[in-house]
Amino acid sequence: MKRWVVWLLAFLGLAVAQDRAQVLVYGGDWTDLITLDPQVVYEFSGVMIADNLYETLVRFEGNDLSTLRPGLAESWKVERGTTDWILTFKLRKGSRFSTGREVTAKDVVYSFERALALKGPGSFLFTEIAQLKPGATKALDPYTVEVRIPKAASPQSFLSILTFTLGGIVDSEEAQKNAKGNDYGKDFLTNNSAGSGPYRLVRWDRGNQVILEANPYARIKPKVQRVVLRYIQEPAVLRTALESGEIDIAEGLTPEALRAIAANPRFKVVRAETLRLQYLAMNMKPGSPFANPKVREAVRWAVNQDELVQGLLQGNGVKMQTFIPKGLLGYNPTTPYKYDPARARKLLAEAGYPQGLDFELLASTGICGGGVPCPDVAAKVQADMAKAGLRARIRTIANAELLATYRAQNHQMVLAGWSPDFPDPDGNATPWSDFNARSLAWRNSYNDEVAAKLARQAALEAEPEKRKALYRILTEKVLREGPYVVLYQPAQPIGLSAKVEGFLKNPMMSVPLWQVSKQP
Amino acid sequence: MVAYLLRRLFMVLFVGVGITFVTFFIAQVIPIDPAVAALGENAREEQIQEFRKRYGLDQPLLVQYSIYLQRLLQLDLGRSLRTGRPVAEDLKEFFPATLELALSAFLVAVLLGLPAGVWAALRQNRPPDLLVRLMALLLGSTPVFFLAILLLDLLHRRLGVLPGPGRLDPYLIPPPPVTGLVTVDALLARNFAAFQDALAHLFLPAFVLGSASAALLARMVRAAMLEVLSQDYVRTAWAKGLSERQVVFRHALKNAALPVLTLLGGLMGGLLSGAVLTETIFSWPGLGRYVTQSATSLDFPAVMGVTLLVGVIYSLLNLAVDLLYALLDPRIRYA
Amino acid sequence: MRKFLRRFFRNPGAVLGLALLILLILVALLGPLVAGDPLEQNLLERLKPPGPGHPLGTDQLGRDVWARVVHGARISLGVGFGVVLLASFLGVSVGLLAGGLGGVWDNLLMRLTDIFFAFPSLILAMAIAAALGPNLTNTVIAVALVTWPIYARLVRAQVLALREREFVEAARALGAGQGRILFRHLLPNALTPVLVQASYEVGAAILTAAGLSFIGFGAQPPTPEWGAMVAETRNYMAEAPWAATAPAVGILLTVLAFNLLGDGLRDVLDPRWR
Repeated sequence: MKRWVVWLLAFLGLAVAQDRAQVLVYGGDWTDLITLDPQVVYEFSGVMIADNLYETLVRFEGNDLSTLRPGLAESWKVERGTTDWILTFKLRKGSRFSTGREVTAKDVVYSFERALALKGPGSFLFTEIAQLKPGATKALDPYTVEVRIPKAASPQSFLSILTFTLGGIVDSEEAQKNAKGNDYGKDFLTNNSAGSGPYRLVRWDRGNQVILEANPYARIKPKVQRVVLRYIQEPAVLRTALESGEIDIAEGLTPEALRAIAANPRFKVVRAETLRLQYLAMNMKPGSPFANPKVREAVRWAVNQDELVQGLLQGNGVKMQTFIPKGLLGYNPTTPYKYDPARARKLLAEAGYPQGLDFELLASTGICGGGVPCPDVAAKVQADMAKAGLRARIRTIANAELLATYRAQNHQMVLAGWSPDFPDPDGNATPWSDFNARSLAWRNSYNDEVAAKLARQAALEAEPEKRKALYRILTEKVLREGPYVVLYQPAQPIGLSAKVEGFLKNPMMSVPLWQVSKQP
Repeated sequence: MVAYLLRRLFMVLFVGVGITFVTFFIAQVIPIDPAVAALGENAREEQIQEFRKRYGLDQPLLVQYSIYLQRLLQLDLGRSLRTGRPVAEDLKEFFPATLELALSAFLVAVLLGLPAGVWAALRQNRPPDLLVRLMALLLGSTPVFFLAILLLDLLHRRLGVLPGPGRLDPYLIPPPPVTGLVTVDALLARNFAAFQDALAHLFLPAFVLGSASAALLARMVRAAMLEVLSQDYVRTAWAKGLSERQVVFRHALKNAALPVLTLLGGLMGGLLSGAVLTETIFSWPGLGRYVTQSATSLDFPAVMGVTLLVGVIYSLLNLAVDLLYALLDPRIRYA
Repeated sequence: MRKFLRRFFRNPGAVLGLALLILLILVALLGPLVAGDPLEQNLLERLKPPGPGHPLGTDQLGRDVWARVVHGARISLGVGFGVVLLASFLGVSVGLLAGGLGGVWDNLLMRLTDIFFAFPSLILAMAIAAALGPNLTNTVIAVALVTWPIYARLVRAQVLALREREFVEAARALGAGQGRILFRHLLPNALTPVLVQASYEVGAAILTAAGLSFIGFGAQPPTPEWGAMVAETRNYMAEAPWAATAPAVGILLTVLAFNLLGDGLRDVLDPRWR
């Protein structure tokens, strides 16, 4: 419907009842949404939405995170230069932004330089992983782009990074037209869109709703004209909204609600695979009781993972003990530890704590993987460990504060979640095993040169089978010696109206909304 | 009168600055670095340094505070650490929803509390009085968050008579935002379907938020009425054979209004801050949820902005009430 | 005193409030001895309706709701009394100083109370709790810091009114010092309205603290604090309404007891209100 018609109808006081099948209402907790600028956004919901507003040169399709497919680029090639890698992309002709302008090579150059200049939270993917430099992206002609990255970087990683919103192509003219000073239009693109994706942003009422409409110029035509993302934080309210037909898709339901929904033929349930891990981490810094390997071993025997996964998660996750999740190369399904409080108590006594051990367990006040509140997971783990003499005092704090405390190494034990930044086992292996990466291993004072070396070696190994073997050694080593107790790999449970078809949430959390259709 | 007004306005200013000072002081107690809290899991050391510089967190405390005050003079409330936007802009976006909710709740409180109090006073110690007192006691003692959960579960989920959370049905095209109050915007756009729907969405949260105030108001009105009803001139009015309605509206209510009026200012201020719990449960996109999220992420510029705004509104309301008081009661003169 | 008691016990609301309060105190003191372990989990028995073994059912971790509610009584009463003791101590001191010293001091202290009065109380408490770190002690401190101005204003007004009264004039004429007048003559007489206010404030403090816990700035799991319990179980209103309702009723009854008691005390001590 044309905008002026809507206005006219509204002015005449007529009810503007929209065709319900052309509106998709998606309810969830979108409070982490702070920007929709593709080169700045790094939050889950922001990335999910921006993914539908902007196109990238190359992209993944569905759940397959290993086969690159054409996006704005219809073809590309990777060549070995003397000092660097040369990647050349051929753009397809006739792609248009929601502004009506054609997508050309200068927009690609602008967008990449923009990512480097704005230094958003995800920019390290360009600057550190791909080692992309300003000026390294060139337009050879309106439809050809050349990018050079150093030899030390991996062109495969760079290509997979290019599938993210960070590599989303913005309309350079529109952005520059609305730029304030040197901001590359950042203020404008925070809550406006200028992309060639299937949707454009028409309205964002913070805390209330985000409204997307089909981009009239898009190459990919969405099946539903209008998408409304409603902010609903309360799981109970979310469930009611789904049951009453107020929303079509509900993200963030409790396992109980999910079971009730699944039993009702008017609804269905999707358990989206994720690459997340929910884990406990123990700070091994000198003087900490967890510096003692026997204490860490005791903790590993003192968590009843089976009960946690079956009782609390109710199928919204699988038991895991190693740090490379299912879905990535090197996934290691071994689970040697089981719940044995007597054995844990014995180990604790051998470690010099015959009376047991008191410590603090930090947990977020938010929702943990699989839709279970973190305080509940913490309380469950606490009760299990208490039977082994490991007496945890739980302190729940906001996620931001939890991260800050964790990064400052001011924790004893923490219940945390982890997602790799890019879909490659190295996205887990380096942070989990390399002390010098100043990530998880560093935070927990896990300084093991052998583990770090293995991680580096595996990252550079080109031969998949050899790489797998290296990760097998590494994951088992970290499992037995490291500061972590991996609890489970959650699935993201989502409730849908039975009228909704084609919904998918891939392990990197992106949702191609344009593929979703809705029966009347 | 002018001197009095100026003095009072100066006091509002003083209280406002005091509020920012207290909040600023509280913020310094936090044991952890807000930059780290804002940047999240994967922030690099350089990013953290740059963030601290950009927000002036690397300056000495007193310098930080004086910069804040200087900016405040230009109505600049600083930038939110969480959203990265000017706090003033965030407030502009979130305040209307709370205002709409608080005004409706206030209306609920007055429409329920005032007549209930009058009725109870006129039937002192008889069933209506006992009923009102009992209801007032119960509503005043119920935790507002549970009332919200209970009514939402009952009236929305089980009975389906009221719409659920949010401000408007997602299938309606929302009216263009002019005031930010959906009901008013819908009327401005002549979109009566949206207006009706917005009212229906407003009803339950407004009732929940207003109920405790209604209870308080009923008790105040009752007490004030009882006192007035026992006065000589009202007895004279009864004796003259005036009807109950005449006595109530001509004499009693007018005089009972004064003590009640003083309460109203405080009530409205209380509603604005009480909205925190109600908004959480009803997914209401207002200041309450904004400030909860800000406090959760230790975003103190945002918390300071909200406390300042609500505190100043509260002070101005009190001033307005005092002036009204003087207008209604000719015995009071402000020098 | 006897007259006071007689009038108190002739007031049905006050008696009901007192009886309820005594019952709650008994539950808080003795209940934990008989009610079982509030922390014992059994995931196989989660969200079970009330029945044998679990008079109020179980929560999302299979913990006995009855045991948790009973233990919660101790916490909520403790928080309520703690807040009121701390806040009234602060407030009475400030009010006494302001009213007693007068002049610049009075002005200064009263402007300070103005600032705290204008603060949106829950938001201030939230900020304090966020800054200090969330736990029950900090909740008590936070709520006390937002409620003391009430007492300060009350006591100051009393002191100002009493200062001109005959018995104070008499004491002054007899050569009593400023401090002596303040503490021996003014304070005891100013305390009556403080007592009435305090009995309401216990209830109000319990409500505020529960609200804080509800939004995550108060008691920490697995502490069976009533507000936190409602917060943790509210997602299961559809399957297990008992789990959230039981602690909510606990809050309701406790606050009700203090409101009834406050009404009663006020009726007895201040006969203008009926």
